Amino acid sequence: MTTDTPIREKGTADRPAPPASKPFTLARSKRRVQLLVLGFAVILSLFAARLVELQALRAPELATAALQQRIVSQDIPAIRGEITDIKGTPLATSIEVRDITADQTLVEDPTETAAVLAPMLGMSASELEPMLSGDRRFTYVKKATDPQVWRDIQSWRAESDNDSVVLQGIFSERRTVRDYPNGKLASTIVGFTNSEGNGAVGLEAGLNDTLSGTAGTVTYEQSAGGTEIPTSDVQRVDPVSGTDVKLTIDADLQWAAQQAVGNRVRNSGSDFGMVVVLEVGTGRVLAMATAPSFDPLDPSESEPEDWTNKPVTWAMEPGSTSKLMTIAGVLEEGALKPRSQVLVPSGLVRGGKPFKDSSPHGGLNLTLAGVLAESSNIGTILAAEKMGGKKLYRYLKGFGVGEPLGLEYPGTQTGYVPAPKDWSDTSFPTLAFGQGMSMTAMHIANMFATIGNDGVPVQPRLVDSYTSADGVIENTEAVEDERVLSPDTAKTMQRMMQMVVGDGGTAANAKIPGYLMGGKTGTAMRYDETCNCYSGYTASFVGMAPADDPQIVVGAWFDNPRNGYYGGEVAAPVVKRVMTDALALRNVPPTGGKRANFPLKYGG
Amino acid sequence: MTMVERRESGRIRSRRQRRASWDWVLIGSALVLSLIGTLFVASAGGAAAGRKQLLGLLVALLIGYLVSQVEPRSLRAWAPALYLTSLVFVLLAFTPLGIEIAGARAWVALPMGFTLQPSEFAKLALILALASTLAGGREQSGPDNRSVVQALGLAAVPIALIILGNDTGSALVTTGIVAAMMLVAGVSWRWLTGLAAAGAAVVTLAVMAGVLAEYQVQRLLAFLDPTADLTGFGLNTVQSRIAVGSGGLTGQGLFEGTQTQGDFVPVNDSDFIFSVVAEEAGLLGALSVILLVGLVLWRGWRIGLDARDGFNRLVAVGVVAWFGFQAFENIGMTLGITPVTGVTLPFVSYGGSSMIAAWMGIGLLQLVRRASAPQRR
Repeated sequence: MTTDTPIREKGTADRPAPPASKPFTLARSKRRVQLLVLGFAVILSLFAARLVELQALRAPELATAALQQRIVSQDIPAIRGEITDIKGTPLATSIEVRDITADQTLVEDPTETAAVLAPMLGMSASELEPMLSGDRRFTYVKKATDPQVWRDIQSWRAESDNDSVVLQGIFSERRTVRDYPNGKLASTIVGFTNSEGNGAVGLEAGLNDTLSGTAGTVTYEQSAGGTEIPTSDVQRVDPVSGTDVKLTIDADLQWAAQQAVGNRVRNSGSDFGMVVVLEVGTGRVLAMATAPSFDPLDPSESEPEDWTNKPVTWAMEPGSTSKLMTIAGVLEEGALKPRSQVLVPSGLVRGGKPFKDSSPHGGLNLTLAGVLAESSNIGTILAAEKMGGKKLYRYLKGFGVGEPLGLEYPGTQTGYVPAPKDWSDTSFPTLAFGQGMSMTAMHIANMFATIGNDGVPVQPRLVDSYTSADGVIENTEAVEDERVLSPDTAKTMQRMMQMVVGDGGTAANAKIPGYLMGGKTGTAMRYDETCNCYSGYTASFVGMAPADDPQIVVGAWFDNPRNGYYGGEVAAPVVKRVMTDALALRNVPPTGGKRANFPLKYGG
Repeated sequence: MTMVERRESGRIRSRRQRRASWDWVLIGSALVLSLIGTLFVASAGGAAAGRKQLLGLLVALLIGYLVSQVEPRSLRAWAPALYLTSLVFVLLAFTPLGIEIAGARAWVALPMGFTLQPSEFAKLALILALASTLAGGREQSGPDNRSVVQALGLAAVPIALIILGNDTGSALVTTGIVAAMMLVAGVSWRWLTGLAAAGAAVVTLAVMAGVLAEYQVQRLLAFLDPTADLTGFGLNTVQSRIAVGSGGLTGQGLFEGTQTQGDFVPVNDSDFIFSVVAEEAGLLGALSVILLVGLVLWRGWRIGLDARDGFNRLVAVGVVAWFGFQAFENIGMTLGITPVTGVTLPFVSYGGSSMIAAWMGIGLLQLVRRASAPQRR
């Protein structure tokens, strides 16, 4: 461009003598213009080079950065499975809620936004406005709202002007919350979930993997403001809902059991009480109650101690009820018969230690049936000696003492019985009448059910069926263990146990009109861990009915009652109440059989 | 008045000559830039913004045409009045009529909801005033000391007001215009180097004495290490760079830029419009915009070279310097190579004042060209 014809003008051609300063002409100014333009050209080339660098050389890297910035992956929580009773009554369900949240930095008009939101959230605008003002990127405005609230907010947005900034910065998070529509009903069995929605206690914890399902994800590109970019793809993996669990529990019976045990704990002044209802032959746990219990919707109101399901987590010395296992073993071994004579002295020394009965007596002439009916410690020791320690141990194990229950409930105890090689001199006589070992209430009830099932143990179960998200139903089945007693021995035991209930028995007031019931009371010394000594009693009674064709076993235990302590007195009436309901609810007809009658004493 | 002008004004120009004197490359480039801008403003800011921008363009074309028809002589005669009027408007921004946007008091409210950015027009008025002053001395020796001091005084007032209004970007552009005009006017190198040194010293002192607020310094330096301040001005630079980079060779398509539509880049219809072009139209689109800006500068420069007297040449150079510096500052900040200062990309960015002022600049270039036309025969 420097070749342009110079502009001819006056002064350039016939300039006078140069002045002091160098002359500055338009021609020379042209050179300066070119200097300027050279600079501009350099700058523009620089920009072009930079563009090539960013858009051609570094494009993949920057595009990745851009994508990462936009891509948001969000979990879609799976709906947690329901827990129902055997008839479908919901015990634990999941409901969808929305947490309404705000990014305060994106809320352009807190006053107007608060005014619009207030009626939707059922809050006042003056209460909302401070929650929307400030510079916090994330804050909860209202938790656990009905999903309809979020739909209202979205439709308000859709109907309003596109450019409206009102409701900008308002978001929601979807989640499900656990509801226990029947409150305290079966709360100690079902348990509850923690704030993350995972099972914390009870079957909620024990069956957590089954109930949880698999969370889904949604991946989408998000704008700086947090809304989806309409032109981008959304990838969605649907969540798989959790499996529904149907329990063997009968809610009506559970309710009756909880009422009965709760009332008795109160009026007997017990530390706690337990009731177990088992279906004979199927292993179904029809009810399992503990008092005191708790409200699963607000567990923090109760002591953590009360959250557990004690019939399976509390192992105790079984005491007199365990004499059934000893006597049954003696009968099965053919060592004695129900009418065999047992001379019971007033005291007995074994291993250098004196053994006594619960109430002092002189020498007694009892039959074996009488030993059981009177619950004589001395008589039981003498009978056990007819078969020996090793066989006793085998029967205890056969009845499941110290064996896992196989329940899904977390923290279930196995109980304990020492092996013969660990026995001291007093172990055998002590174990014979139910001390020196431990069993849960469920173990004891299941021992009764084994006798009721004509000698074949069936593992107790809490779950009746599972229904997965795709509708497939999986029923659980009764699992039988190895037979412990012959049917004959079992029948004999059933008859002998009838003597306990009704006139002359230790559980006279457990009798249900029209039904034959058998059972065994227990008034066990209560081992107190705090003092490492025996203190107070555990009063218990376990009954089964109909005694000549057992269908239902009901057991009740009361720990450290202050107001009476005999099992027949504290526990038997509770068993009678619950058994009456159980027989009615399970439609068990009376058998019309007559109460067995064994001589309890012999001679004069 | 110079001999050249006197001679030229005596001529009677035919319609044909008049028509021939239109620089279609200049006008065409500016028009294409304006239309591209309108399109991307609509993409980033919505259809309403696009319609407003189109209306602004029509008004700007009309005003630009009127400016081009002004007689050069009267232009020079009006320069002092225009200069004073523009100062009054800049001052208005500090009255209750003024509006503050993004920390800068650079806007004046007009009736019917329109706003005016007086600093855009003040630049034009200053160009005329400086051209008049610097071309006024004896032509053979360039401006004398008195003219230089006078020019500096003329420039100092609006620059000071613009700085007071926190519009650092416009102040820088204005300083660039003054420097370029002084260079071309033939101010001696002694003056130029002295002024540059003094300017550097003043800026250094201002920073050290804390005259500039901390945030202003941070904002100016953010481009050096944008990741250092990802919550503030550094973020703009990073986001803009990411948007540009994710455009690739051919872009994601108009209205399809994910970073743009997601509002990741701030003020992307105005100051960061170039990032929208780069993301949605890619390297080809962005280079086209740079090419068009280059065409405008080149044609403006040719008009300046062909000018037949100092005043006209200085007006053309002033306008070219204005377009150039403002485009460099804007594109540079988008690409992360110059500080983030809030100036618009002439013709492209959203804003009526900016558009009208830019087309008035085109009108001035056209006027200068017309004044030189007979010589080109």
